[in-house]
Amino acid sequence: MTPVTNAWSRIAVLSVPPRPAIVGIIANPASGRDIRRLTSRASVFPNAEKASMMVRAIAGLEAAGVRDVMIMPDSGGICGPLFRALSVSTGSPVTVKPRFIDMPVTGSAEDTLLATELMCQAGAGAIIVLGGDGTHRAVAARCGQVPLLALSTGTNNAFPEMREATVAGLAAGLLASGAVPADVAVRRNKLLRVRCDDRTDIALVDLCVTRHNYVGSRAVWDSALLEELFVAFAGADAIGLSAIAGQLEPVTRSAPHGLHVRCADTTHTPQQVIVPIAPGLISAVGIRDYARLLPGQPVVLAPQSGTIALDGEREIEFDPSNRISVELDLHGPLTIDVAAVLENAARRRVLRHYAGCPA
Amino acid sequence: MSSSLTREGLLQAYRTMRTIREFEERLHVDFATGEIPGFVHLYAGEEASATGICMHLNRDDYIASTHRGHGHCIAKGVDPVGMMAEIWGKRTGTCKGKGGSMHIADLDVGMLGANGIVGGGGPLICGTALASKLRGSNNVGVCFFGDGASNQGTIFEAMNLAAVWKLPVIFVGENNGYAEATSSNFSVACENIADRASAFGMPGVITDGFDFFAVHEAAGEAIKRAREGGGPTLLEVKLSRYYGHFEGDQQTYRAPGEVQKLRETKDCLMQFARRVTSRGELSMAELEAIDVEVKTLIDASVVKAKADPLPLPEDLMADVYVSY
Amino acid sequence: MARKITYQQAINEALDQEMTRDPSVIVMGEDVAGGAGAPGEEDSWGGVLGVTKGLYAKHPGRVLDTPISESGYIGAAVGAACNGMRPVAELMFIDFMGVCFDQIFNQAAKFRYMFGGKAKTPVVIRAMYGAGFRAAAQHSQCLYNIFTHIPGLKVVLPSNPYDAKGLLIQSIRDNDPVIFLEHKALYTMEGDVPEESYIVPFGEAAVVQEGDDVTIVAFGRMVNYAKDAGASLRKKGVQCEIIDPRTTSPMDFDTILESVERTGRLVIVDESHPRCSMASDVSGFIAQEAFRALKAPIQMVTAPHVPVPFAASLEDLYIPSPARIEEAVMRVKEYR
Repeated sequence: MTPVTNAWSRIAVLSVPPRPAIVGIIANPASGRDIRRLTSRASVFPNAEKASMMVRAIAGLEAAGVRDVMIMPDSGGICGPLFRALSVSTGSPVTVKPRFIDMPVTGSAEDTLLATELMCQAGAGAIIVLGGDGTHRAVAARCGQVPLLALSTGTNNAFPEMREATVAGLAAGLLASGAVPADVAVRRNKLLRVRCDDRTDIALVDLCVTRHNYVGSRAVWDSALLEELFVAFAGADAIGLSAIAGQLEPVTRSAPHGLHVRCADTTHTPQQVIVPIAPGLISAVGIRDYARLLPGQPVVLAPQSGTIALDGEREIEFDPSNRISVELDLHGPLTIDVAAVLENAARRRVLRHYAGCPA
Repeated sequence: MSSSLTREGLLQAYRTMRTIREFEERLHVDFATGEIPGFVHLYAGEEASATGICMHLNRDDYIASTHRGHGHCIAKGVDPVGMMAEIWGKRTGTCKGKGGSMHIADLDVGMLGANGIVGGGGPLICGTALASKLRGSNNVGVCFFGDGASNQGTIFEAMNLAAVWKLPVIFVGENNGYAEATSSNFSVACENIADRASAFGMPGVITDGFDFFAVHEAAGEAIKRAREGGGPTLLEVKLSRYYGHFEGDQQTYRAPGEVQKLRETKDCLMQFARRVTSRGELSMAELEAIDVEVKTLIDASVVKAKADPLPLPEDLMADVYVSY
Repeated sequence: MARKITYQQAINEALDQEMTRDPSVIVMGEDVAGGAGAPGEEDSWGGVLGVTKGLYAKHPGRVLDTPISESGYIGAAVGAACNGMRPVAELMFIDFMGVCFDQIFNQAAKFRYMFGGKAKTPVVIRAMYGAGFRAAAQHSQCLYNIFTHIPGLKVVLPSNPYDAKGLLIQSIRDNDPVIFLEHKALYTMEGDVPEESYIVPFGEAAVVQEGDDVTIVAFGRMVNYAKDAGASLRKKGVQCEIIDPRTTSPMDFDTILESVERTGRLVIVDESHPRCSMASDVSGFIAQEAFRALKAPIQMVTAPHVPVPFAASLEDLYIPSPARIEEAVMRVKEYR
């Protein structure tokens, strides 16, 4: 049997997917435009580009045999550009028409939470998330055991990857349809849980106690205002607050611990670390001490007043009357390892077929 | 940065926002009686934007405003009593009764004018900023414009010019979701005004226009950067107007209950009051005292405006070159 | 001391002297220096026809090249005028007002009146106008009548080097927006121009030739054609009084009225189209104010009501000529 060269079909799709698959896509229309454009050199990430990423992801999903794609409605932020992008016929033809989840739109993070729940209830085999650490944090709060394909829409993120959406769509589709088994390609993440009186919230990468008075414009960039930092993982090559921990003691995504760093005024401590705290912004951060953060062992804070930033965004204002504790949890959200999916597919020849011989 | 707000700063912020709200709510009531000439476009609901931005400005900084300009005027320091008389078309008005609601200007306080032409202010503010830059001062210019104006060529030209000349200009795109009766979802192809910043090589930032602290902090960074010679910024403020495009607009294009829900859940004054009182920075009594003071001021401005004299016939020919 | 220089040099000298006298005077426009950001020479053009050449080096930082963005930089000139500068913005060709007219007539022209007298807008917008350069329909119009229609704008049309210098200096010192229009065919015209600074006031017509038979009112370049016609007519025994209003807003109607009351005959020469023109404006004024003095119907010598054509043969037909002026004068002279 001689393989026919140059015999890829012009429109490459798996003609018979192993099982009907549903994939959700959540894109945050507000990400990539916060104040870090001003306080650092973070890039503006246009919604037109997010929409284009979605179409590229859908092209990948379709090629992997996914016919049912759910999307989160918004008040036009991305849906408008998405349908404009879908109407432009370049690249592989995209025939899948994404459908909206039936839900009210509030224009807030509540939309992401609700959309995630509804996608899970509708039987999504995977959810592709386009956004920053904050968007992923919201999805992770509600996605349960549905694996996420985490795509970064900006230069400022530690949790999601910067990766071409076409490839991501292909991987999510192969996984959701069962063409590639979950056990080889899905990873368990950690998370940080904060309790402030009755309120509970999570962070996927870092949790930072700051001396900012207000949530204000949310982002944290001034290293002089940092009090304490908790990280679930910290790459030595990370960007953002977790880079502080990454340069003290790198923590992998799979390590069974995190790190707890106490910061100090650079004039009051001999110990400093130089880190890329935001794109284009490198700061010296004073360090008092740091220690491993172990799961199931909450750290109780004794703060004055300030704010708590979750994954780089101020979320909680507190004062001395609040009781605050932080804990590492090893049972965070599942994410899809794109390289592992496609390596498995290659090994098993999932995407190979020959002229006249459908896969 | 928000943490730099003093007690006096917080009081000033509340007083300014309350003055704008009271001014506009009162106009809403009085316009319905038919006594006020012309048409007015109310700023109610958007107070945190004008206030959070103009608090960083001094007298020698300029702003260019829009047809929805009352809030910008008040926040920049134009006297509300003169403004009320102007809107009533009286000789004692800010512009002697010859400008009206859409053209209130007071160059003495750096207010270059509300503007009846959508997008008209962009090029003008480049000019005031150019003058500041050439003189070597650190003054800035702020161009307020709406989502409607964001599609005007003048705004694109102004952003390009400001970037090319590295002018100290802050372009503030107040996106209230509607250009007249057309949704910005329809009319703004890239959905966010801020997305256009990258095309001009300037930072583009979105901020929550219901949250005074968010606007104040973002504007502070942008204005500081401009003063230090860092060049222009595009700041998009997401907000909503509580009333129609103009007074009398039935707003059938809006969703039922849309405004009521915003008033109940996101109102900038409500959020501000809750924040500062729950943290004990200001007391409810202090805020209520400002409410009373502002109401007295606005009531008095209306009484005075009604009683004030109309322009004189000779004013028709004054303050312009008349060739024959 | 006067010496002969060109119309173009007179304009350059006026700008130079005012920039030296007053640091708030700046020059801006497309290629007013030329070469910005380019690898070659700075001040490579000095304006598309070289009118502003040399100012860039003499007045560092005050001759600003702009993007091709007429709304943007004309508006910026207006804004800078509101903030203490005296900008002279060059619009290159008057035809380009189509892409920036809002900033001129809704913004600059309105501020002083609309803001209750509190604003002054001392901006000068220079532009070249007029046909004769085979530049066709979008680079050859006159359009001064459109600006003249707008209250709040002053409109200046120098017909010779002396007036060009004196009127431009007055324009720069004036606190209202001024549209300063230069006929491209006049740039090489030579004339006596004093070296020192001087002004020609607005609203004062020049009587360029005295006579009692026929009054000719001519605008801009047409003044020179009227002089040619007047010289020829004088040989035939017809004495024309030729009036150059010099500014169309303000307009010196008194001088025209006084002349027509004496001659009873009026010819108006205007290079623009006949409808709603300076010609029809003066004609209407005289019909209203000096009806009894008129001994013959007023004659308007204008371009036809068509766009400016490209072909030389057609453009030459389009532009009013000394011969047509002469014919018109003879018509009113011989009218019984």
